[in-house]
Amino acid sequence: MSLAGKRILIAKPGLDGHDVGAKVIALALRDAGAEVIYTGLRKSPDYIARVAIDEDVDAVGLSILSGSHVDLVRETARCLREAKADNVKLFVGGTIPHEDNPALVDAGAAGIFNASQRIDDVIAEMARVLDVG
Amino acid sequence: MSAERALSGDERRALAREISRLANASVTDMLAAPPVVAARSARRIGFTGPPGVGKSTLVGTLVERRAARGAGIAVLAIDPASPYSKGAILGDRIRMDRAADDPRVFMRSVSSRDAQDGMCNNVADMLTRLEAHGFDEIVLETVGVGQAEHAVKALVDTVVLLMQPETGDAIQALKAGILEVADIIVVAKSDLPGAARMQQQLVSTVQFGVQRSAAWTTPVLGVSVETSTGLEALEEALDAHAQWVLEHRDAGEVRHTRARYRVQDLIVRQLEHALAALTPAECDMPLAGLYSATLDRLRSTKSG
Repeated sequence: MSLAGKRILIAKPGLDGHDVGAKVIALALRDAGAEVIYTGLRKSPDYIARVAIDEDVDAVGLSILSGSHVDLVRETARCLREAKADNVKLFVGGTIPHEDNPALVDAGAAGIFNASQRIDDVIAEMARVLDVG
Repeated sequence: MSAERALSGDERRALAREISRLANASVTDMLAAPPVVAARSARRIGFTGPPGVGKSTLVGTLVERRAARGAGIAVLAIDPASPYSKGAILGDRIRMDRAADDPRVFMRSVSSRDAQDGMCNNVADMLTRLEAHGFDEIVLETVGVGQAEHAVKALVDTVVLLMQPETGDAIQALKAGILEVADIIVVAKSDLPGAARMQQQLVSTVQFGVQRSAAWTTPVLGVSVETSTGLEALEEALDAHAQWVLEHRDAGEVRHTRARYRVQDLIVRQLEHALAALTPAECDMPLAGLYSATLDRLRSTKSG
């Protein structure tokens, strides 16, 4: 599948300082043809939404290992809405227990991924949601 | 835009989409587009130099300082595309996050995609569009390889060339002939060993030959963002060069150089389509025939 021409922001909100997962996903998205912007560590939802606007991205992917994924997804979705970026799809990945999925969907996540998934499947699902799969 | 005013969310969004539109516009789109006229010109500063030399870090620090003093600044940072997937990691922003956090700053990462000169398609129009928005300063950061130095020279008022200590860069730079394009040369990471020697080498190189203009002497400055050294001297040099540009550079000549670059960007892309459209029979023709077949294709091939 190809994500050619899609612009995707990979962001690390909150306090956890591990971004190997974010970088692996960024590379996989690049290899699928996407233009990937990476924010670096510990960004606020407000900052992430502003970058999403400036960079005119199609999607934001949050990488969260801190456990506060539901709050951070909800807050980022709110900031995106306030910035009138409702068209931007919000994905989340990280250490996320399955039982949190309904709450994450409710908070605004268009796709939820965890470390047990194959990278190819993650990319394929993102492509499907972004309607290029 | 008045310098004190932050960009509104709506302005940001509109500008961001306009840049996307230009990034994706074909030759045909560009020819059909209405002209964009900037009411006044912004100061355009280009940063170039090899990958990893610290362009983004320096740009981020400078932009942060200048925005804090009230300047409205737009940054266009070009990163290379993967030749295999055509995708790209646009990572300049990581080094500029404090600057990008200032609401007076608009920062945009752009993929070089298939542009062959280290720029991106329609970059001249992107700069004009940012200028029309009313920014005081526009910073262009190049991919930093190959022909980018020459392209950036056509597009900006001041070219800052970054070099790194202890990499044999002085000689490499001589070979590549990139020192000539620099209005200001920065030895980046000047806290590292070898910086002083590198700076000395560059100073003598600049003195002994590459100086083209009698009026402007290219300064060679050691700058370390890490230890906050040399930043003031660099800003003074930027201001001095801006003043020199005002006094000595012919505005008509600058306009014509940019017009040439702009049309060259379109023709080069059109040429790629034309070459791809040549038939095997045409490719087997003698050179003169192939040449004229290519020129015919250049006119008749529809751009993508």
